[in-house]
Amino acid sequence: MDGPRQPHGTGGGTTSSRDDRDDPKHGISGTGTEPDARFTLANERTFLAWNRTALALVVAGLGIVQLLPPFPRVPWGRHIIGIPLITLGAVMSVTAYRELRRNQMALRRGQPLPPSALPQILAATILGVAVLSGAILLASAVR
Amino acid sequence: MQPDDPDELDPGLARDRTSLSWVRTAIAFAAVGAVLLRQQPVIGLIVLAEAPLIWALGHFISNETAPSGLPSRRLLLVTVAVTVVALLAIITVLIGHAPAGLDQLLPHHG
Repeated sequence: MDGPRQPHGTGGGTTSSRDDRDDPKHGISGTGTEPDARFTLANERTFLAWNRTALALVVAGLGIVQLLPPFPRVPWGRHIIGIPLITLGAVMSVTAYRELRRNQMALRRGQPLPPSALPQILAATILGVAVLSGAILLASAVR
Repeated sequence: MQPDDPDELDPGLARDRTSLSWVRTAIAFAAVGAVLLRQQPVIGLIVLAEAPLIWALGHFISNETAPSGLPSRRLLLVTVAVTVVALLAIITVLIGHAPAGLDQLLPHHG
């Protein structure tokens, strides 16, 4: 039978807030306490998801240049759409890494997560591609 | 191995979800590599080779945090890999503009 279990394993939020908080030796990056592992893992998954989105932008740019037939009268039209998409994929990945570190810092300090710039980057990218595509289509249709 | 921190005793399914997320990311790299393989086989193989590296990054290296408390530098390797893929994609796009991909296979033309 089960005997009385002594160690209870309470999952508290703070573990060692006394010695490593604002320790000048650790600098700014060493402040705060280690957050719940689940928060750290969720932060990592968010970073990976943005990187997959970045890869999707790269694939979209590749596909536009390689698979579409060329626009009449706009010989570099596909490149004008595709190359910014690929570039913004790299920008998105770098931004995701910066936000990963920033979010982890906020988790350590128990502060609210700062707002992410990535949804705006993504929306602006899609809007830009739509406007560019429309402009190129118009330019290739008007003779 | 027993974690010392009581917070890490039960990450629940979060660790599994993260592991699966690494697998999806590796598959995404493989997909980009397969797309590149059509036009530039060498570049495509380079990108395809990144897929098992990303997979290994997520599986064989435990997610330790750096001494500073920030995520370890191995996550920066994902960003480096995506940036390399983007550069290779731009090179592919600029090199391979003459044959224009699938144009030959499309039935309508002109």
